Amino acid sequence: MRIQCTVNGKSVERDISPDLRLLDFIRETLQLTGTKEGCGEGECGACTVLLDGKAVNSCLVLAMQADGSVIITVEGLADGQALHPIQEAYVEVGAVQCGFCTPGFIMATYALLQDTPDPSEEEILAGLEGNLCRCTGYSKILDAVKLAARRMRESR
Amino acid sequence: MRYLKPSSVSEAADVLESSRGMILAGGTDAYVYMAEGFCHPETLIDISSIDTLRGIYVATDDREEEVIRIGACTTIAEIAASQDLPTCLRQGARAVGSPQIRNLGTIGGNVCNASPCGDTLAPLLCLDARFVLRASGGTRVIACEDFFTGPKKTVLKPNEFLEFIELPASSCGKASAFRMIGNRKGQAISQANASVSLVMVDGRMSDLRVAVGSVAPVPLRLGKLEEFLTGKRVKEVSLAMFKEPILEGIRPIDDVRSSASYRQEVTVALVFDALAECASKDSGECEGAGA
Repeated sequence: MRIQCTVNGKSVERDISPDLRLLDFIRETLQLTGTKEGCGEGECGACTVLLDGKAVNSCLVLAMQADGSVIITVEGLADGQALHPIQEAYVEVGAVQCGFCTPGFIMATYALLQDTPDPSEEEILAGLEGNLCRCTGYSKILDAVKLAARRMRESR
Repeated sequence: MRYLKPSSVSEAADVLESSRGMILAGGTDAYVYMAEGFCHPETLIDISSIDTLRGIYVATDDREEEVIRIGACTTIAEIAASQDLPTCLRQGARAVGSPQIRNLGTIGGNVCNASPCGDTLAPLLCLDARFVLRASGGTRVIACEDFFTGPKKTVLKPNEFLEFIELPASSCGKASAFRMIGNRKGQAISQANASVSLVMVDGRMSDLRVAVGSVAPVPLRLGKLEEFLTGKRVKEVSLAMFKEPILEGIRPIDDVRSSASYRQEVTVALVFDALAECASKDSGECEGAGA
């Protein structure tokens, strides 16, 4: 089947199998391997991308369901060589341990700050409740979200 | 596998009739079942982008009564955020999955999946919801109470799908609350949940509905408890007093998530807690749809 969508600002068109998951379309068809597969059943959030502005588990969406939509993956955040403030904050604070969950956390953070630019700690925890870090590095992740939120507010 | 994306409910009903495929809405349960090998649909009928299946608004039902109508493909996130819906339903929606799941998952999916622990089911039951089921020959309406027949089982026929959920317009004038307990905050599946709706008249409980989930094969109304509480002041009742009518009504089991005895204990506490929240508000709290 033919799918057309916008991924990280670029229009893409491909012929795909109807049973292809959005996650596989992103990783295999488009070779954007920043998005990770953890559990494959919507529990861990490693595959989080933005679909029409909303954070979703790309392992639970058929690629064909995203036909005509706008998708942002972790590769879409940096501006050329310059990292996005959220990515910078994660690096600076040391919110990355093994790094496998990081793209998902960054996308969940992006969705959270888009809707809630000045989140309380409770709102951050709620915004990230769909993401698991098996290294359990949650406190640094919280610090990174707070830092990113502050910088993004200041730069506006 | 075939993937079809009908653009209207009548087209969806015709396609379902001829293909007997599987209806797909948000996909959050469907893909897990497919990935785990529980089902192998030959045809998927994606109804998630049919416009008329989205949204919350005031309408007139088949009995010419005013209702709040919810399209089956309204997402759980939209339900949780809506100011036009009773508190218990918003709280139940908020308890589902994670932000990512709530953005994809739909209320129709939560209902039709018919898991005994679905967090919108007890709220819908305590709000006297009715379901409009669509087939190519037309629609039929069924009360929430009569819809669920067992774990993952409903009265839906293979050629039918859920089109709308309707709540009495009066449900916005009621005070309501939902409580659940699970083993972690995000993504938790209810070990037990409870939903209460009522109207306080001169400080006394009336028009009371108590529904519980995850403690029987289907969500249950607790009629004995409703009878016991009706006409009483909240101050007159204690947790110990309604333990018996609750335990008589529920049939919890031991399973991977919890034990039957734990479920009994917490159900009593959850109902009491939800009731206390309702009683602390003297009238309804939502704006009413269509604003």
